[in-house]
Amino acid sequence: MKRHLMKGSKVVFLALYLIFMVFPLYWIVITSLKPQKEIFSFPLKYWPSELTFENYINIIKISKFHVYIANSLLISLSAALIVCCIAVLSAYVLARYKFRSHRQVMLGFFLTQMLPGFVALAPLYLLMSRLDLINTRYSLILMYTVGLIPFSTILLKGFFERIPSSLEEAAMIDGCSRLSALIRVIMPVMMNGIAATFIFAFVQNWNELFMAVLFIDNESLKTLPVAMNSFVMKFDVDWGAMSAGTVLSVIPTIALFAIAQRFIVEGLTQGAVKG
Amino acid sequence: MAAKKGKRMLLVAIAGVLLLSVMAGCSSNGGSGKKVTLRMIESLTSPGRTTVLKEMISKFETANPNITVELISPPFDQADNKIKTILGAKQDLDVLEVRDLTVSEFANNDYLEPLNDYVKDWPDYATEVDVAKSVATLNDKLYFITNGMYQRQMFYRKDWFQELGIEPPKNYEEMVAAAVKLTDPSKNRFGFSFRGGAGANSVPDTIILNANFDRIDHEDSMFLTDGKTMYSTPEAKKAVDLYVKLYKEGSPKDSINWGYQEQVQAFTSGVTGILLQDPDAIPALMEKMDVSTIGTAPMPKGPSGKAFTATGGGGWGITKYSKHKDEAFKLISFLSSPEQNTYFAQKTALIPIHSTASNDPFFQTDLYKSLLEMSSKPDEFVNLKANTKYPGTGQWGQVAMETGQSMLLGQVSVEDTLKKWDQFWADQRANLK
Amino acid sequence: MKDDHPSIIGRFQAGFRNSPRGFIFFSLLPTLILVLAFTYYPFLRGIVMAFQNYQLFDLTNVRFIGLDNFKNIFNDPKFKHAAVNSAYWVFISLILQFTIGLTVALMLSKRFRGRGIFQGFVFYSWALSGFLIGLIWKWMFNSQIGVINDLLLRTGIIQERIGFLSDPNWAMTSVIIANVWYGIAFFAIMLLAALQSVPSELYEAGSMDGASGARKLFNITMPYIMPTVITTTLLRAIWIFNDPSIIYGLTNGGPAGSTHILSSLMLDKIMYGGDYGAASAIGIVMIGILLLYTIFYLSVTRSAKMGDF
Repeated sequence: MKRHLMKGSKVVFLALYLIFMVFPLYWIVITSLKPQKEIFSFPLKYWPSELTFENYINIIKISKFHVYIANSLLISLSAALIVCCIAVLSAYVLARYKFRSHRQVMLGFFLTQMLPGFVALAPLYLLMSRLDLINTRYSLILMYTVGLIPFSTILLKGFFERIPSSLEEAAMIDGCSRLSALIRVIMPVMMNGIAATFIFAFVQNWNELFMAVLFIDNESLKTLPVAMNSFVMKFDVDWGAMSAGTVLSVIPTIALFAIAQRFIVEGLTQGAVKG
Repeated sequence: MAAKKGKRMLLVAIAGVLLLSVMAGCSSNGGSGKKVTLRMIESLTSPGRTTVLKEMISKFETANPNITVELISPPFDQADNKIKTILGAKQDLDVLEVRDLTVSEFANNDYLEPLNDYVKDWPDYATEVDVAKSVATLNDKLYFITNGMYQRQMFYRKDWFQELGIEPPKNYEEMVAAAVKLTDPSKNRFGFSFRGGAGANSVPDTIILNANFDRIDHEDSMFLTDGKTMYSTPEAKKAVDLYVKLYKEGSPKDSINWGYQEQVQAFTSGVTGILLQDPDAIPALMEKMDVSTIGTAPMPKGPSGKAFTATGGGGWGITKYSKHKDEAFKLISFLSSPEQNTYFAQKTALIPIHSTASNDPFFQTDLYKSLLEMSSKPDEFVNLKANTKYPGTGQWGQVAMETGQSMLLGQVSVEDTLKKWDQFWADQRANLK
Repeated sequence: MKDDHPSIIGRFQAGFRNSPRGFIFFSLLPTLILVLAFTYYPFLRGIVMAFQNYQLFDLTNVRFIGLDNFKNIFNDPKFKHAAVNSAYWVFISLILQFTIGLTVALMLSKRFRGRGIFQGFVFYSWALSGFLIGLIWKWMFNSQIGVINDLLLRTGIIQERIGFLSDPNWAMTSVIIANVWYGIAFFAIMLLAALQSVPSELYEAGSMDGASGARKLFNITMPYIMPTVITTTLLRAIWIFNDPSIIYGLTNGGPAGSTHILSSLMLDKIMYGGDYGAASAIGIVMIGILLLYTIFYLSVTRSAKMGDF
């Protein structure tokens, strides 16, 4: 009886939750498949009178969306990759060693999360301008990397702490250096943490708008959020293009989730914790 | 092993980034030589407009093979902030789009090169209309060449008006009455496309301005000839009462938070029957509505039987620190020639700047007709000089929005709200250098 | 493991083996340089404006004015209102995001049919830009042309349209709904990753004792993932507090300032007033509040210990 009740409430929660999550997506997808005139016609149509891909064709042919997607992929992936590499090292050190300025470093990382970024945008632009990085992809790769290092370090440190240090000590007795022990023995065990960090970093980069607007001038270097933002005009939001763009922009992220999910699971099953 | 490879690749990548940035640092803008690259930024961006602009620029480049133009088109939302940041950092920029909302700020910070000397040798300046010049002028200095002007007119739903057997309103009293009549919440139909969000000041300001018609200082349009603000009079109180009635009885409740986009969307979706808007809203109306249902009429008049028309505009200016000012003006004068400007105005649905363009058949069509009608009766529709000299011009929209919302919600009385508005402008005038 | 390439890496490795101090130093170096140069330096340059009369409109008149900016914002009733709103906004959003996120993560940690698709639906909201979330929800919440009112009317749940963003009684609830919708995915991802690192031996031992589902959750799972819980809730609270984009996009602080939080008020000062002095002053106050909160939060949760921080 109690079991049934539990199961019942679970189903209800799941259903409500899915409606809450899925409906906006449904609405965006349906809008993207509507002909222009129907998007704002009343009464609202929950299913288009005819399905059309004109919005998708337009944003690729006219707005050159493939260029922006490629830029965003390149920038977001490289920054996420660099972040993971740098943060793994610093997180490992902070998790395993006690040193004099340990506390200050951690505090310094935490504090970065509290800084309201808008205040720093103008000085940052000046800095980028001095470094001649304005209008280059490097500016964004650099800033996205920097922005995510502290959080990624804090996050990964938590994962490292859950792994017994006996693991790499054993490896080091076998003749591994610290670094290779880290890479060969510990990293595979915490693939789930790294995957989560990577996804997180990627998604943050993928969505960042303000620095991308500011640092990039050329059409051919623009990223996805900037391109989507330009569908908001003075008197009009081009919802056809906007919804089609939203759908296209979500696909790579979902694909990444799907791939990373395997890592998260594998990280556990092939982990050396058991062995 | 794979992980180790990744690590090495990372090191290479970091080294690469550093190296490239150093190289980029060395190769920036060598000598000016013969080829000149102009950097240009637009503010009122939309994808369609950018396409038109690029087309015009490429014509210019063909005619001037030694000049290339790099056009920067930031999203409309962020454009002015980006422009301000670029100017603040003195990052390379030659031509920029200056708006009536930003000209005073840019001029104040000495970002703009006055163009008075440049236009002396520009023959087309002779046919540019005075309004276009005055929008771009501050303290006798011409800071930009206007690329298009906007002026509001009334759009209304012809079919709804016919259904109820009413005529398009001629003054604000009639407009509010019509809006109340059209309103039928059960059919999700409302009279007026109200905008209580961004830019909420425009309708109350216009009603108040026209209510004080005879006493307005034409050189300083927020003020009366006696130096008080236009918000301080009993007429202003009446005008605002009318405005509150317009919201409460003739507009959707939700519109208290609407901005430009919702305001136009409500009209195009058939929720509202009257829209006061600039001509650049026309493309959105044409795209989404049955054009035969749209009527246009001149702006409503005040109690005096006359109305002020305010003309806004943006245009091309040159940065003070530009190294290629002559080339920059060459570009601007090309874009502003009667032929190019008329083309641009048509494509972006703005009013062209040259007197020669008004004969163009494009602007005789139904949706633009009322604008022409208004400009053909300068005694009834008196043009008021754009008043852009105050620092608070940009901030005013936000102040009017917040205090206006409190008033419309009934949290603050009309009198107290007017006192705040009066105070804001009195302070602006007192602090003006 | 033989070093078959006498490269730079090899030399570093040799160094690390001998001295952990060198290892610590070189591992932290890139992080420290980058964060100091590109986060702290521009921020300090920016924050100086809090003590200046720094109005974008008149940059020829920038001068130090001591604490005047602070006095002005403290005397502004809008500021107090926004501060109270901030607390409300963070607290409610965080609790809902966390509890729903944890529930979803617990569900996803077990295998079931359709898990992949379910996951996609959970995560996609995180994959949207902040401005886009504001835009989409603003559109859906519109009382005249929005789909939510239309849906509620058609299904007969409501008889009269609701001004989700225009009714001061609703506006805060509406922006929080959008924020919760956006933030659940963060907790779901992070907690799922943590849940999957719980060694299964722990559960095996637990089930031998015959522990029930709820007991298992509170006695085994939660203590194990506690460090992650503390870190993520703390950071998320900070981010929710600091991120103006959803409120800015949905209501712009309105109607009549009723949905302003501190960060949206700060953005407002920059975007409309061009008053960087006031904005930076608000920024400093925000940092102060967050620091106090962090110290409080960490001392309360110390018993559960978040690593050694």
